[in-house]
Amino acid sequence: MKIRTYRRVTHAVIYVLLAILAVYCLFPFAWMVISSLKPIDEIRMRVPTFTIHRPTLDNFVNVLVEHNFTTYIRNSLVVSLAACALSLAISLLSGYVFSRFYRRRAVKYTNFFMLVSQMIPGVLLLVPLYITMRNLGILESKISLILAYTTFVIPLCTFMLSSAYDSIPASLEEAAVLDGCGRLETLRRVILPIMVPSIVSVGLYAFINAWNEFMFGYVFISQDANRTITPAIMLFKGANSINWGGLMAASVIAVLPVALIFLFLQRYFMSGLMSGAVKG
Amino acid sequence: MAAGREVRAGAVSRRRSDTRFAWSAMAPAWVFLVALIGYPLVLVVLDAFSHVNLIKPTVGGFAGLDNFAQVVSDPHFPAAVGNTLIWTVGSVVGEYAVGLGSALLLNRPVRGRGAFRALTFIPWLVPIIVAGMTWSWMLNPDFGIVNSLLVKGGLVHRPINFLGDATWAMPTVIFVNVWRSFPFFTISFLAALQAVPEELYEAAQIDGASPWQRFRDITFPDLRSVSLIIVFIHVIWTSVNFDFIWVMTQGGPNYATITLPILIYRYAMQQFDVGMASALSTLMLIGTSLVFVVYYRYRRKLSEEILG
Repeated sequence: MKIRTYRRVTHAVIYVLLAILAVYCLFPFAWMVISSLKPIDEIRMRVPTFTIHRPTLDNFVNVLVEHNFTTYIRNSLVVSLAACALSLAISLLSGYVFSRFYRRRAVKYTNFFMLVSQMIPGVLLLVPLYITMRNLGILESKISLILAYTTFVIPLCTFMLSSAYDSIPASLEEAAVLDGCGRLETLRRVILPIMVPSIVSVGLYAFINAWNEFMFGYVFISQDANRTITPAIMLFKGANSINWGGLMAASVIAVLPVALIFLFLQRYFMSGLMSGAVKG
Repeated sequence: MAAGREVRAGAVSRRRSDTRFAWSAMAPAWVFLVALIGYPLVLVVLDAFSHVNLIKPTVGGFAGLDNFAQVVSDPHFPAAVGNTLIWTVGSVVGEYAVGLGSALLLNRPVRGRGAFRALTFIPWLVPIIVAGMTWSWMLNPDFGIVNSLLVKGGLVHRPINFLGDATWAMPTVIFVNVWRSFPFFTISFLAALQAVPEELYEAAQIDGASPWQRFRDITFPDLRSVSLIIVFIHVIWTSVNFDFIWVMTQGGPNYATITLPILIYRYAMQQFDVGMASALSTLMLIGTSLVFVVYYRYRRKLSEEILG
């Protein structure tokens, strides 16, 4: 009897704490969406309300049409998709070697170099990277961002994909090789189809990383035509008096792809994150 | 005899073709890492000892230690070092506490646990700029929801200008950073907690150990290894983070939140002094390497302890 009440109380306490955690994590998003749907006079109220009296899409129309956000979204999509594809192509190859030839000296050197490069933060390389991009003549272009984003995710993508390859028995490809298949052919026809879940989660990581990045986009691109969405939000804020409604609408737009990906592919994503986190 | 030699020759050529394949498959990765991490890294160290200006190509030549002297004598340098320490320690301690608490909570076998786990990770997925802007708006002194609730609840008399007040600015950016970064700790702790054998807890419960004793003697020791690595990673990530502070305060108000990465940006992109920016970057590289050495030592000690 006593034990049962004790259990019930702990259960209740756990749910209360979980609810607090959920509010802590989600309230900013709720407030962002509410604010983005409020007209300007409701935004500028001394005592803000949770309800919207006259919901409006003005803020969205404003940022999308008048402030060029359609261009920024398109740029962000192009850059992120390209960075995602490029880093997958590169890491699928290097990850394969990491998994199958892990005893080779070549792999050990590469592994060491990747671990070290993981520990060198982008901001410390900001200036030489800027100069390198300028010397290559690709400053102010999407290519500069694609190259930078790809480079900084290659190590982690390689590590994650190499552990995915580890779970596929080598006998599978040996059979294909005996049948006269080349290595790349075997990789493409036999192994990659089984690896789809891992490829999806690694690809998502690369995509989201590129979509969310701020500093390189802010520094490399100064012209509107190639600007991506995260620096665009920063500059939108800087324009004279802050239009908070518009700013929240822009934020909703910037979160949307990530939120959708997460909702639909949560299972892939979580397992990928978990295995990545354990490897750290 | 002849057949044996043939086999060996076959094995050698196979090994050679394997090596060739291994190198060529890793070549694209090498090209990227060498061109965009290795080469810039060399450049940053070289530039630290040279006079280089971003917009004046005529400036040049060997500078010796001039750039370092200039950085160290910058009136904002000591404050930036102090702020970077406060920012890093404050953020990592906060993330650790919230991350551990939420992981223990999300490890309890209750219904709906999966959903709660999923939504805990959402802050970590959003762009830093969005986290920064949303919180700036919520903490706004005139129209912000947080101040409105605080005043209504009678906790404060007047709205607090969280990001505009020099005493509040740093704690506020730390708070927002904790909000956005703690899920990484949660994920890592959850993964580690699942590896703790259930029988240990049952045995301890039978022996009459209290929940606190169980946590202290079973759970916590098992988290030491994962703690070490994520704390290390986050000390590096946080100390060099540029985005958060730039997005929320740009180092203000009145330099209250200026950190070393902000200084690097200002030297490079506002004063165009590549030499100074590179010198400071080099100093920070030395700093992060020192952190790595400490981590490596501690890691060895810990593995010896665990393995006995």
